[in-house]
Amino acid sequence: MNDKPWSEVNLLRPKKGYMGGEVVITLVILIGWGGATFGFQFLQKFLETTAAGENIFTRFTFFNLPLNVWFTGQFLPLWFVILCIIYNLYIDRLTERHSRTRYPYEHQ
Amino acid sequence: MNISDLQIKLVPLMISVVVLTSFLLVGLLHKVRESSEYGLGGRSTGRLGSGAAIASNWMSAASFLGMAGFFYLYGYQALACVIGWTGGYVLLLILLAGQIRRFGKYTAPDFVGERYDSPTARLISAIISITISVIYCSAQFKGIGILFGWLFGVPYATAVTFGAVAVISYVVFAGSLGVMKNEQLQYTILIISFILPLMFLARKLGYFWILPQFGYGAALSQLSPEFRESFTLPFAGSSLFQWSALCFTLMVGTAGLPHVLSRFYIVPNIRDARWSVVWGLFFIALIYWSAPAYAVFARLLEFKSGEAVDPATARGMADMIVITAATKGGLPLWLVGILAAGGLSAAFATVSGLLMTGAASCSHDIYAGFLHPTASEYRKMRVAKGCTLLLALIVYLIAVNPPGLIVEITAVAFALAGNTIFPAFLLGIWWGRANRQGIITGMLLGVLVTFAAPLLGGIIPLVAVIFPITSSALCGAPLVILVTILVSLMTPPPPERIRRFLATEVHGHLD
Repeated sequence: MNDKPWSEVNLLRPKKGYMGGEVVITLVILIGWGGATFGFQFLQKFLETTAAGENIFTRFTFFNLPLNVWFTGQFLPLWFVILCIIYNLYIDRLTERHSRTRYPYEHQ
Repeated sequence: MNISDLQIKLVPLMISVVVLTSFLLVGLLHKVRESSEYGLGGRSTGRLGSGAAIASNWMSAASFLGMAGFFYLYGYQALACVIGWTGGYVLLLILLAGQIRRFGKYTAPDFVGERYDSPTARLISAIISITISVIYCSAQFKGIGILFGWLFGVPYATAVTFGAVAVISYVVFAGSLGVMKNEQLQYTILIISFILPLMFLARKLGYFWILPQFGYGAALSQLSPEFRESFTLPFAGSSLFQWSALCFTLMVGTAGLPHVLSRFYIVPNIRDARWSVVWGLFFIALIYWSAPAYAVFARLLEFKSGEAVDPATARGMADMIVITAATKGGLPLWLVGILAAGGLSAAFATVSGLLMTGAASCSHDIYAGFLHPTASEYRKMRVAKGCTLLLALIVYLIAVNPPGLIVEITAVAFALAGNTIFPAFLLGIWWGRANRQGIITGMLLGVLVTFAAPLLGGIIPLVAVIFPITSSALCGAPLVILVTILVSLMTPPPPERIRRFLATEVHGHLD
């Protein structure tokens, strides 16, 4: 029987320690994920000058692609890879830090 | 039909047979020698190899054929698929991957049954998982039918029958020999067979061929200005809501797809599992950066030849557009054959994996878990074999008259996963108070929401607007989560041992 003290798991009220750090990086990545994906589409809608969605991004090109197509079709998948790398680096450090606290002798 | 009626493309057919046979042979060798010497294969390849395995597990006819077809039809709107199917891996990594691994249950039904301490919830999630597999396989069968139609020169209905016989034989053969998949090798073959013909096509058409993923921009600029506008403007063919709904649905569907979730148990440790997602996502993105190029080249070839394709005809040929672009672009038949072999391999591998796991779920979760708990191993094995054939038959019957494009059929499977499995995992991991009453209500509501458009859309048109059949999870998943929370709060909490386990082992393992 596991007799460690515990409190109810709740994403909105994370306990201090490893879970707290995990939730912070999760929220940061979620903002980066949602902001770039849906924020960019909202921005295009906000800036549109015609019903079809013509906007400042559709007037410029990058690699011969309209900027909106390049950003959504080519940059965003790369952005997702970058987000995953940031998340993994942070979690690696977080795990290392908490492992040291819990198993100090193994890290000397 | 006589054999003389067939217009067999012999070279592409032989290439396809060689590729599929090589998968079986390597799988047998892999089984005997326990990996490491083949392709990228083996444990020694670590995160890179595991990433290739994630990508191979992901690649299906939807990625190989459907994506380009959808882009050919809808332009910018189709980028919702590119983003949905890559962005979903971010959700999967940050919300579920490490945690479900620490939870220690290997399949969706096992997780739901254990976390919610409910055989009923487990049964419902098993039925949902099997339904997702059937819908997903139907899209694969359509892809196989299209490719067999091209290889044998026969109408679609005949081709899908040929394809069904071939793929079931493949599944039975692989299953009876206990062939292990060498997913790293499969990914290597898939990516080469997709990108090599694209490079040749770009070179033949006079564009930057070393990285055709960038080269197709110049081709796009040569389309007629009117068409280019309708193709690239963000809301020319759809609204902001429709784009976001499709994108979000595919994202949460990716994070809730049972065969994707179970990948994280195969990698030796959690850290490698997390990093393998980065490689997997990169390898998947390679295909998705490339698919639009086929669509643009196909449009350019039509434009240059003065061929006016009406929307109905374009829709009819969209799922074939990768092959059409390669053929019309003047690529040699052997190269088009490599492309077709890649598409067939992706579809065959997906079907064999999903049918076998679906049948295992029928046997393990429904038959042995619910109907006959005392069934012998022999009996369970027989049930699994029978279920493989039964599921294949259902898939075949759906695929003979396919209800939509490959991407559209696949999207329904994602919507179902996003409305049911994803909320069950998300709340199960991140909210200890979620209980069995809540999740049973939530999953049933998720099923209703997924199929609300065809069931209720005729009576209440607003339902079809809010919950489109391919994109229902934007409104559906939050609704399911909300209802699950409300029902959970109104009913008793789950057993203390589960809440304690969640707090101390899943989230507090280093505290």
